Amino acid sequence: MASFASACRASMRLATRRVQQDVVAQRGFRTSASALAAQNFTMPALSPTMTEGNIASWKIKEGDKFQAGDVLLEIETDKATMDVEAQEDGQLFKIMQGDGSKSVQVGTRIAVIAEEGDDLSALEVPADESPKQSKAAEAPESKTPSAPAPTAAPTTPSAPKPTHKGPTRTYPLYPSVHHLLKENGLDDSVVKDITPTGPNGRLLKGDVLAYLGKINADYPAQISSRFEHAAHLDLSNIKVAAPKPAPAEKPSAKETAPAPPPAPVKSVVSLPVSLSAVLEAQRRINKTLGVFLPLSTFIARASELANDDLPLPKNYQPTADELFDQVLGLDKIKGVSKSSRGAYIPQIGAIPPTPGVFGSAKPSVAKKVDIFDILASTKPQTVKKATTTTVVPGVSASGPNIFSLQVTQAEEKRAKVFLERVKLVLETEPGRLIL
Amino acid sequence: MLSQRILSRTAVRSALKPSGISSIVPASRWARTYATGAEEKDLVIIGGGVAGYVAAIKAGQEGMKVTCIEKRGTLGGTCLNVGCIPSKSLLNNSHLYHQILHDSKHRGIEVGDVRLNLEQLMKAKEASVSGLTKGVEFLLKKNGVEYLKGTGSFQDEHTIKVELNDGGETSVVGKNILIATGSEVTPFPGLTIDESTIISSTGAIALQKVPEKMVVIGGGIIGLEMASVWSRLGAKVTVVEYLDQIGGPGMDLEIAKTIQKLLKKQGINFKTGTKVVSGEKISSDEVKVQVDSAKGGKPETLDADVVLVAIGRRPYTGGLGLENIGLELDERGRVIIDSEYRTKIPHIRCVGDATFGPMLAHKAEEEAVAVVEYIKKGYGHVNYGCIPAVMYTHPEVAWVGQSEQDLKKAGIPYRVGTFPFSANSRAKTNLDTDGLVKMLADPETDRLLGVHIVGPNAGEMIAEGTLALEYGASSEDIARTCHAHPTLAEAFKEAAMATHGKAIHF
Repeated sequence: MASFASACRASMRLATRRVQQDVVAQRGFRTSASALAAQNFTMPALSPTMTEGNIASWKIKEGDKFQAGDVLLEIETDKATMDVEAQEDGQLFKIMQGDGSKSVQVGTRIAVIAEEGDDLSALEVPADESPKQSKAAEAPESKTPSAPAPTAAPTTPSAPKPTHKGPTRTYPLYPSVHHLLKENGLDDSVVKDITPTGPNGRLLKGDVLAYLGKINADYPAQISSRFEHAAHLDLSNIKVAAPKPAPAEKPSAKETAPAPPPAPVKSVVSLPVSLSAVLEAQRRINKTLGVFLPLSTFIARASELANDDLPLPKNYQPTADELFDQVLGLDKIKGVSKSSRGAYIPQIGAIPPTPGVFGSAKPSVAKKVDIFDILASTKPQTVKKATTTTVVPGVSASGPNIFSLQVTQAEEKRAKVFLERVKLVLETEPGRLIL
Repeated sequence: MLSQRILSRTAVRSALKPSGISSIVPASRWARTYATGAEEKDLVIIGGGVAGYVAAIKAGQEGMKVTCIEKRGTLGGTCLNVGCIPSKSLLNNSHLYHQILHDSKHRGIEVGDVRLNLEQLMKAKEASVSGLTKGVEFLLKKNGVEYLKGTGSFQDEHTIKVELNDGGETSVVGKNILIATGSEVTPFPGLTIDESTIISSTGAIALQKVPEKMVVIGGGIIGLEMASVWSRLGAKVTVVEYLDQIGGPGMDLEIAKTIQKLLKKQGINFKTGTKVVSGEKISSDEVKVQVDSAKGGKPETLDADVVLVAIGRRPYTGGLGLENIGLELDERGRVIIDSEYRTKIPHIRCVGDATFGPMLAHKAEEEAVAVVEYIKKGYGHVNYGCIPAVMYTHPEVAWVGQSEQDLKKAGIPYRVGTFPFSANSRAKTNLDTDGLVKMLADPETDRLLGVHIVGPNAGEMIAEGTLALEYGASSEDIARTCHAHPTLAEAFKEAAMATHGKAIHF
């Protein structure tokens, strides 16, 4: 029998310890120490199967201090009568279920205890969070000044009822929010009337400002929707990689072979360029350095230079690198480049090409020799006699030569820019192409 | 009809079993499960990098049966083996060396002969790496994850064939499959990476000797960190960056300019707005790099004994056999996913560098946890608007949220508050006063929009900014939170004060 009793005592101790742990867990929710030191003491489960018990008698009175190990009360179950010991030091604040209470459900509040040293007169009785089962009338003292607050249960089952009114919050107000409320003479009770727009329904400074009418009422929500948008990966514009050329493509190519895509309409862009300055430079280099540079070198270098940074054709397709930049958003930082390097090689002829020569006709945009050309070409013409008689086939040393390019319509502007640059370089400072 | 089906099924089974050809027959899922009894895993993860191993541990903790396949031989992926971790070891130790060499006398510390032992420096790095990778392996074991060293590829939608590193082949069947294969270095066209003369970040953490002249192509975070290491150890480093700003496009312009100035003072030479036209390896210790100013300056040739290619990383899905199951990539090689990381085959998911979003280890880690939660609980979450970025140069650069140029471009109104470390007491006592904290907040609600720091310990300090941003805090909330004195973090608080009002100490 003795062993049975001690076993019961042991299990009961375990049970009370569990209760105590629950109590400890509750402390985490405290917001201010003095108001919350009182804790509910519930009917312990003294055995795994115990669901209810009778309180035989309390061994200490309200207001009594106790130490860990002291017997607090005696509980009768259908099997035995057992003592409940205190696990920690403390004092008994209020007895909720007096001596002789029958069939008290496990988990029902039977008393309120306080920490050692708490001033009992200043303490409030915390809300009863015990499950409200079987409102048995055998609990005459269950109606306490602080009436049960079942509304608090769903959100904060273990948090003591806040001393103020207002919605139950499980976290403190942000410092800015608190400050703003106080500054405007508002009570914390208005908090429930303010629409929160922060993450997980948190109340932000902006929400209070909107409530106070200091900013537009919709504004905080707008910002929040912006944040909400930024919180997700942007998967709205995925471009699937082009499938690799499948082996099945060959037969289909044959099918489409009879109808090749219409060739893009080509047109000729040409510009008269005087080569006399070039010939002059050639002569001078030959004389001073003793090196003969063929005209083609000048023209190749001028083309090289003129090909740089040409305006994009109208039907320009961005390269992989540019797309890469666009994906990273770099194009917005460094600006979309509106130019690219060309690969033009001008055709040169002494006679203006007729449309028939270059195939499909589009009125050539050849310019007439303008005043600039005349000015540029007349001056070297005076020294023309001194030039060595180098013969470059198809190139006229004296008169203007026609530099032309055959391009698609979309590229016309690009080609024009190219030719104008070639002209400028060859007619003004051809010497700098070499030196 | 029904009986017929049962009959034929039994017939197949009996045909397979006694003859013992089941292991040779191309393993359909059905045959494998019945013939060899291989158990089906809840989750098979391809890749043991930060995304893969974190997902494996998390799934193990959730009570799932998990296999993690990694071919490197050690876990942790790029980050632990050749990325974040080893580079931080080199950055920290090279900083110590540099400081002892150049920054000790005026502090009242006279040091004698200071010499660099590069071999030992590398050993210290390897020690931290191997310690951490082994730690991860232990964690997998602890959480009951099966770890296969080998190369995984899709055989069908549920079966992954694994070519084991030790030879041989096996296969695993998974209810769910996670692609976490990460990324690789983007090569520079025309420069073949040999990891000794023309190197990637992998070679940059393992050089045998300090190069005399080093050219770094790409002034992003990786480029600048490596430039810092080798510049501190004595190399003459030139960083060539195509954009006009260093640090990559995400870095706030003002911060980028500040750090560029500071790094320049440390001896790193910058060529911004400059493109590399071509490069040529002359010999094993000579490379010529042709550069051209993007704004029409003179072309120039840079000589170097080592060239680091650090122009970025690209998703890596090579050898995965995605074509066997018809999975598509986007035009930049990323695995296409939905918001729950599902590919178009819903039980196959993908996280980390192999898919969308910034290529950051901590982003991969967040996604790994979220994807397991999606599988297990049906909901996971990563806040992509709140992912910090850190550059571990000295001083460090760190940011979270939007930059000033971002906001300007989007036409979002903002207010700026800054506080320089030169006005911070702790920075002053440390004789380490370079940099500033910059905060951006909404002008009306004061809600924090972004935090940008260049300064000592910026990488640690950004955690506070990230927390504030995550909670939708205002700059006033930060300013009204007590910060210990004297700490560098006070600069953070003062910047917050400057954002909605005035700083006290400036």
